[in-house]
Amino acid sequence: MEFAIELKDVHKSFGEYKIHKGIDIQVRKNAITYIIGPSGTGKSVLLKQMCGLMPPTKGDVLVDGKSIVGLKGKELLDIRKKFGILFQNAALFDSMTVFENVAFPLVEHTKLTKKQIHDIVIEKLRLVGLRDVEKKMPSELSGGMRKRVGLARAIALEPQIILYDEPTTGLDPIMCDVVDNLIHDTQKELDITSVVISHDIDSALKIADYMAMLYDGKVVLFGTPDEFKSTDNPYVRQFLSASMEGPIKVI
Amino acid sequence: MNEILAFVGRPFTVMSVGAGRLFLLFWETLKMTFVPPFRFRLFIKQIEFIGVNSLSVIILTGSFTGMVFAFQSYIGFSKFGAEYLVGTVVTLGMARELGPVLSAIMVAARAGSAITAEIGTMKVTEQIDALSSLAVDPVQYLCVPRILAGIFVMPLLNAIAVFCGTVGGVFVGVYILGINKTLYLDNMYRYIDLSDFMNGMIKSVVFGLLVTLVGCYKGYYTSGGAEGVGKATTESVVLACILILVFDYILTAFMF
Repeated sequence: MEFAIELKDVHKSFGEYKIHKGIDIQVRKNAITYIIGPSGTGKSVLLKQMCGLMPPTKGDVLVDGKSIVGLKGKELLDIRKKFGILFQNAALFDSMTVFENVAFPLVEHTKLTKKQIHDIVIEKLRLVGLRDVEKKMPSELSGGMRKRVGLARAIALEPQIILYDEPTTGLDPIMCDVVDNLIHDTQKELDITSVVISHDIDSALKIADYMAMLYDGKVVLFGTPDEFKSTDNPYVRQFLSASMEGPIKVI
Repeated sequence: MNEILAFVGRPFTVMSVGAGRLFLLFWETLKMTFVPPFRFRLFIKQIEFIGVNSLSVIILTGSFTGMVFAFQSYIGFSKFGAEYLVGTVVTLGMARELGPVLSAIMVAARAGSAITAEIGTMKVTEQIDALSSLAVDPVQYLCVPRILAGIFVMPLLNAIAVFCGTVGGVFVGVYILGINKTLYLDNMYRYIDLSDFMNGMIKSVVFGLLVTLVGCYKGYYTSGGAEGVGKATTESVVLACILILVFDYILTAFMF
């Protein structure tokens, strides 16, 4: 099976408002796929549909070749174990310490001993470049550190697919680069599938294997970063050059 | 014309949507209660939070209500020389009505609001999505322990409130107003039996369910950041109090 996730003609509406009007994206295994687009085009909503947190109004979502639309209860929970998700603001459980956060999926889903869990947590925190933070509460961490803890928690169960929701939003330029490298290194280290939702075009061109651009509920272009650089598609050109002039309506 | 109809109809649609969601959450919780894993530690933690931490409030509310009730009923009974019935009325009122209702309202204000604020904050900061993404059912993890704890501790808190009210009544009746102690206690024992207490206990179980269910429901459907959490918390207390009073009437009418 070549594709980790396939979106087939996905439509999504909230009441009268149609946010997705037929999206087809195929996410290749063991590659980094960036989904880019202006704010408010439903990128996060798309991400939630990929892992079954939200059902599409119409269309189909396939994970490893099997449809996940309409799954319930245990089947859906089992599908979610294939995914690790890094949320926009990391979504750490603020009543738990960093250690408890990263250990949470292990305590819930494995029968490992305390010692084994401790070792895995320390290893995952090392992998994202953190030391000696286990006993801190999430509120004591900086934005960049929270994201790293969030990533450590997302990879604790060694998922096959990692979804990143705007990983660099709200970080300073140096931290952005650190997170980009983190995505890249995590990908290499664990040999998994990564999907990144972002409007950070520089990061995308730098580390993506494939890119998809969303606008007005549809995929404008899907291809490699090189194809994005050389395309004459006016939407993509406007987004890449960060210009107000062009077919994308600013207001 | 359409606008008038919309204006009149809107509250009803909002109410029926709310009632539907509340019932669906109740149904979901009921189903998830019997599905493993059973989260015993979270249940114990909630018993501490909803029950043990409410003790001081319940003791104060119970005793002062009993004391005031003794004063007020003395005014009425003394007019026809039936002061010795004050104890009967205080204890009867506490056991059947004031104990369950007041303790439930205090718990709604203290624990119900906190439940909504906590779950609501988790909702707006995507922590509930994070739970789902880690393959943990949020209803089972968050709602089941709270609601079970509510059902479990509410009758116990009620028993304490009734006891404190009765003691408060004796204190005011016998030691301040000088009613004969033997007459006071004898009449209390004679006219009150176990069914009066059971009546209040049944109410308490229902109220415990209502307060925690409403707390979870308002938290679970929170939207709109910090402001939304504040709004949901207020709504949670108001809705819980209204439901307590409405269900109090329904239960009283049924068990009359």
